[in-house]
Amino acid sequence: MNTIFIAVNLAFALLIAPVVDGFERKIRARLQNRQGPPILQTWWDLIKLFKRPTIEPQDSVKSLYKLAPYVTFTAVLTAYLIVPTLLPSSINFIGDFIVVVYLLGLATLSFVIGAFSSGNAYAQIGSNREVSLFMSEELLLAFIIGTIAVIGKSLSFDQLFPLPLRISSALALILLFLVIYVASARLPFDIAEAEPEIIEGPLIEYSGKHLGLLEYSIFLKRLLLYSLLLNFILPVQNPTRLIGYLIGIMILSVVYSTFEAYYGRFRIDQAVKLMKKLSAVALVVWIIALVGW
Amino acid sequence: MLLIPIGILVIAALVGLSKAKIVLKIVSTLSAIASVTMIYIGILGLRTTLEFKCNLFNSPSLFMSLNWLVFRVDSLSAFFLLILGILSLCASVYGIKYMEKYFEKEDMRVYTFNYPIFLLTMYLVLICWDLLWFIIFWELMSLFSQFLVAFEQSEEKAVKAAFKYFCMTKAGAEFLVLAVVLIILKATNFNANYSEITSILPAYLLAHPGMLYALTFALLIGFGVKAAMVPFHSWLPDAHPEAPSNVSALLSGIMIKLPIYMLLRFFLSFFPLKPEIGIVIAVFGVLTLFFSMMYALLQEDSKRLLAFSSIDNIGYILLPMGAGIYFLANGNQLFGSIALAAVLFHTMNHAFFKGLLFLTAGSVMYETGTRDLNYLGSLAKKMPLTTFAALIGSLAIAGMPPLNGFVSKWMIYISTLSSPATSLFGIIAIFISAVTLGAFVKYFTAIFTKPAVKEIDAKEVPVLMSAPQLLLALLCIAFGIYPFIPLKMISQALGSIGVPLASLVVYPSLVVPKTGSYSPIVIFAFLLVSTLIALLLIPSRGSVVSTWKTGRSEDLNASMSADAYYRDFREAFNEVYVLGDASKGFVQKVAKIGKMFGTKFEVLSYDLDSMLSLAMILIVILVAVLGGVSL
Repeated sequence: MNTIFIAVNLAFALLIAPVVDGFERKIRARLQNRQGPPILQTWWDLIKLFKRPTIEPQDSVKSLYKLAPYVTFTAVLTAYLIVPTLLPSSINFIGDFIVVVYLLGLATLSFVIGAFSSGNAYAQIGSNREVSLFMSEELLLAFIIGTIAVIGKSLSFDQLFPLPLRISSALALILLFLVIYVASARLPFDIAEAEPEIIEGPLIEYSGKHLGLLEYSIFLKRLLLYSLLLNFILPVQNPTRLIGYLIGIMILSVVYSTFEAYYGRFRIDQAVKLMKKLSAVALVVWIIALVGW
Repeated sequence: MLLIPIGILVIAALVGLSKAKIVLKIVSTLSAIASVTMIYIGILGLRTTLEFKCNLFNSPSLFMSLNWLVFRVDSLSAFFLLILGILSLCASVYGIKYMEKYFEKEDMRVYTFNYPIFLLTMYLVLICWDLLWFIIFWELMSLFSQFLVAFEQSEEKAVKAAFKYFCMTKAGAEFLVLAVVLIILKATNFNANYSEITSILPAYLLAHPGMLYALTFALLIGFGVKAAMVPFHSWLPDAHPEAPSNVSALLSGIMIKLPIYMLLRFFLSFFPLKPEIGIVIAVFGVLTLFFSMMYALLQEDSKRLLAFSSIDNIGYILLPMGAGIYFLANGNQLFGSIALAAVLFHTMNHAFFKGLLFLTAGSVMYETGTRDLNYLGSLAKKMPLTTFAALIGSLAIAGMPPLNGFVSKWMIYISTLSSPATSLFGIIAIFISAVTLGAFVKYFTAIFTKPAVKEIDAKEVPVLMSAPQLLLALLCIAFGIYPFIPLKMISQALGSIGVPLASLVVYPSLVVPKTGSYSPIVIFAFLLVSTLIALLLIPSRGSVVSTWKTGRSEDLNASMSADAYYRDFREAFNEVYVLGDASKGFVQKVAKIGKMFGTKFEVLSYDLDSMLSLAMILIVILVAVLGGVSL
């Protein structure tokens, strides 16, 4: 039974992740007084990319360059086995939180390695920024993980979903909300993929199916992080969970895309410094959690 | 049985005294054979305890335990013997071709004589069962490894590094001598046999806490210097890069783990468990991993980067050791045993992937003659096997999921993060793990994928060099996907020093009562299968076109040099470097003052009377120290 539910969750994620992006595009367009594309537009874009021919740059390390999009995609997909989405079932074991964090790390790493092996100078600059941002955002994330582990006295999702209502857990979730925003590669934090200055950085040489896979994995990663945050709030084993989950996804989309519509891009050093400041806040939250509030 | 490797290695060392060219091959082969027997002894030792006893002298002296030479392999030493055997097998085979580079430049006898002796002393440290003999072998190990570091005598840097290494480890060893003398004089009635110490010492130290803390202090300094714990690490980033690469692999992979082996013996079976000692060790572990990795990010020399990361991994080993002692002392058996299992697992993992990475750095040096990350680049097409091995090593050291580094890091996190006292340590460990990823993205891409400054002439290394690399890479993959085998050995090894581990032996790998289990197979099977399906469903063949060069026809000549990596991150975390540099300045000042006193003392020592009186004062102080700690 559990296996079927997990399969349903996977199918849901694969189908809905691009739709969520389409929804966000619509909201952004409306906020900027535009008509905006239809909600399914992101799906059409992806399908178009998968139909297009793929090219390989001459200077690239072919095997790594070609393998990287697949590993990025499946690493994110694998995390869906552990984080429940639509239905509250998943593979759970002690320390699964860590596995999710490291699977997302693997996705980032293979994305970066693929970009580095494309042989393009812009891709190098972009990936370099990506890693800088990843390292500083991991500092914040580490504090959040520590706080949540102290609150729930465990590192296993079946003990942590949902978190008990406390000051520290609310603050930790607010920080998680922020770190998710940073990790999902949007304005003002799409520093690595900045189109106007470094022409999509790591993605610059990718085309056709490879590009499609990479964009698909970005959408999947966003939905995964939304679900992670919602799972910490929503009650498990409750019929209202499903409705709450869907509404939660919509609320998060609206809030995040509103932010996105109104901000310009940060410079990489500003973003890293911001992460450092937020980590100092997270340290305080961790202490609050230790005190037991 | 235990004498076979000793015999082979002594023969190898004697052969190594000759100057003939064939000697290198003979010595390397003999060392490899000895390594295979060490692996065999390790496997045997995990099943039964091996013992060898021999009466050397019969003098009723102060140190009467020197009369008996006792070798004994229990599960803990067997586990370390396995690591030593596998790594030295790879390093010896690798050395056959690698060392040929030095035929013209250097006197090969420095290598052919010292290399087997170095292996032999490490072997002896692991199998000896007596503290006095341990001190002797330990000092010999420092001595002979120092000769290997100074192998390139024409290079002033290498000689200086070896001298610094020798001075620091020697100073550290004095603390060990002091500790051992204290133990056998005060507590065990001139008995230095491990078994007897285990039965006498814990009770004695419980009654004399002052002595316990004095001993802990001495041991942490003594072993800390050798293991390159952070305040005492400064010899390592100089010494390891200067040694030949296969020796660096041994130095980083196993030699700096021997202090870990002895610390486990001391703190878990000789000493009573005290939570505060555990916390002190964990704090040192965190300092070690934090500062060393932040500095590794700065390095532009491939082997120096690896050396800093070796210190970092010592931190990853000390942290769970401290946490484990803390948990066990507080009665938390479950987390304690997981943390201590993480110590041994990470020790093994680090030996494999760091050995592997040093060998790849050596292969790159063999082909290109340089370690400069700014100069190197785009070797991936020319050296595909080395690239594969380096990629696996980098992924493993960054703790990426299907590989072995992940399993041990995961064990560190689950044991430390959710307890209030150790939570902060785990948090910093997670952050530093991300920085490790950054540093090894730099290592890998700077050597293998970034466009080189100018065309580098290189080809794939010979089979004898690539085979050891591939073997180690294979072990990294196998132990990551199927961690059951090493975990089973680890639970035996921990059992032999009195850590109960019922929860660690059931497949899949680690089963923790009532909370479910870590089943890497399911997760990784899905990862691999879905990757394969994606590859099949979405074929990736495409047409080759030239890389985009902003529309120009000639090359952009734009490539990021290694010193430009993560500049913004480094600037944002500048405080760390300011702090590190300040403490470096402080230590240098202390060293200068020490030198000044040394010179004064030397001048003084020409005058016989004042020298004698000074010596008297020193002896009085020593006696006071020895007598005073019983408090």
